[in-house]
Amino acid sequence: MTTQRSLFALACAGVIVMALLPLGLDPRGYEIRILCITLLFASLGQAWNIVGGLANQISLGHAAYFGIGAYTSTILLKLFALSPWLGGMIGMALAVAFALLLSLPTARLKGHYYALATLAAGEAMRVIANSWADVTGGPVGISVPYLPDGSLWMMQFPTVLPNYYLFLAALVVVCLIFWKIKTGALGYRLRAIKENEQAAEVIGVDTYRAKLIAACVSAAITAFLGTLYAQFQFFFDPDTIFGVATISVKMALIAILGGVGRLSGPLVGAAFIIPMEEIANSYFGSSAAGLSQFAYGAILVLVILLNPHGLTALFGQISARFTRKGATRDRSIA
Amino acid sequence: MQNLLTLLQTTIDGILIGGVYAVISIGLSLVFGVMHIVNFAHAEFLMIGMFIAWFAWFYAGIDPMLGAFIALAVTFLIGMVMQRTLIKPILHAPQVSQIFLTVGLLFALENGALLLFGADYRSVSTSYQTEALTLLSTEAGRLFVPLDKLYAFLMALLSGGALWYFLSRTRWGRAMRATAQDPMAARLMGIDTDRMYMIAFGLGVGTTAFGGAVILPYITASPTVGSQFVVLMFTAVVLGGLGSVAGAVVGGIMVGLIQSFSALFLPIQLMNLTLFVIFILVLAFRPEGLVARRRA
Repeated sequence: MTTQRSLFALACAGVIVMALLPLGLDPRGYEIRILCITLLFASLGQAWNIVGGLANQISLGHAAYFGIGAYTSTILLKLFALSPWLGGMIGMALAVAFALLLSLPTARLKGHYYALATLAAGEAMRVIANSWADVTGGPVGISVPYLPDGSLWMMQFPTVLPNYYLFLAALVVVCLIFWKIKTGALGYRLRAIKENEQAAEVIGVDTYRAKLIAACVSAAITAFLGTLYAQFQFFFDPDTIFGVATISVKMALIAILGGVGRLSGPLVGAAFIIPMEEIANSYFGSSAAGLSQFAYGAILVLVILLNPHGLTALFGQISARFTRKGATRDRSIA
Repeated sequence: MQNLLTLLQTTIDGILIGGVYAVISIGLSLVFGVMHIVNFAHAEFLMIGMFIAWFAWFYAGIDPMLGAFIALAVTFLIGMVMQRTLIKPILHAPQVSQIFLTVGLLFALENGALLLFGADYRSVSTSYQTEALTLLSTEAGRLFVPLDKLYAFLMALLSGGALWYFLSRTRWGRAMRATAQDPMAARLMGIDTDRMYMIAFGLGVGTTAFGGAVILPYITASPTVGSQFVVLMFTAVVLGGLGSVAGAVVGGIMVGLIQSFSALFLPIQLMNLTLFVIFILVLAFRPEGLVARRRA
């Protein structure tokens, strides 16, 4: 109980520090934008963590949900001047529908097969967004209509500071959801699936249902984060918003770097990856396009090679709890 | 008459491109068949093969069809080294580790190429590029085979046949199949399974690089060219059954046909969408593949 209480105190302190942090910064400056993106990707990593970390279902297609959220709210705002809050909700519903469409047939897949299926789903969305130009604007991208007198209801502000607090609030909410799931019945079911799916089935866990619910929750969160991102960035195109490297793998990488399946994982991962990427980009500029993604790749390879048998945090101690000892490989299909 | 011609022409195009897809996918299937690793970075070796063939053409005037052999040799060596340093440590690791190691490799290779060679598109010019073999000529239209695609197809056939011969008729090929079936038993029979894994990975990426080199006359090389082939290649392999080399051939030709036929009905940008949908459906309902079940 005391550890829980101290954890709670630590979390509160963290939120307060993060809330005070931007006050010393220029509200139109570059630093605060980096902080915003860091918070956003911490939330995205946490959303991925629900499926990838708790249930060990490796999704390489979460960009699909992110893009659905961003496009839905932006298109509705453009066509009907609908508030992004409502547009975001509709985006969440669409993302859940897409998650169901994808997961109903594929939730039973494991390991490689699930990763492949989700990868293809994300790519399919990218192709659709690129070719459905009447609605999405096609490959040139889409701009969020700018409203000079911004308001909270329209999710547009004269400075980035309110965006920052929105992202911070989103992160707190997503972390709470993750914690609730992890410590609740669903979390135990998901972890049972992770440890040994057959055994979980035997003791009466409806593994299919648990995975489906996790996928839907994760999709809904990711979609709303897509809306927040659209209202912050004001412009995006299919290749970035549905990108495998820019979104799907980055989400997973962030969750993995900080320790997969842990509440703190995505926070640590995002705090490391995003500023590093931004610094690299500002240092080398366009002369080294691809440098940050090259670094992602190299870091991923390195993290795995350091301890191939249990994805452990790059920092912090190796925790045996998350090591899958004697994991059985699925050879039945091969 | 014209409809029939279109149908025949579409079939020819599909089979020609499908043959190349087959060779590209054989390598991926071989790697999975022998060491049960899904190599997400596999399409990057196609890109590497294209670049090697392009440099051979640009600096030494070597035709891509011959440059393909250089690409095969170089990537074979790269593959052997990579297997030893990167793949071997994760052979018995959980799938999560395998997935992310090869995904990391994908980004490192793609963006490494971007850093080294820049984002420029590079193409070759050959004498046969714009020529075509006319099979049939009527008032309604003509039936033809573009020479560059025909040569690529023949080269694909050649390498596929050579690989088949190696696997089924040679001592090393038998040893490799034994390793795929039961590494422990193979070791007990005196087979150096570690070496077999290295050769299998080298051959796997080498064949794919070979396939990349022979399509250079009609597809431009760029660091991101691999990403166009990732899903396509996995679809071919999954259609034929992951790990089945013969299945990859059938799968590759099916993918070529699906692509060329969906181009008849759908706008060109949506050509791959049909593939994605088929891919997900096959994964969901028949992950063991539609065709063959034989391994490596």
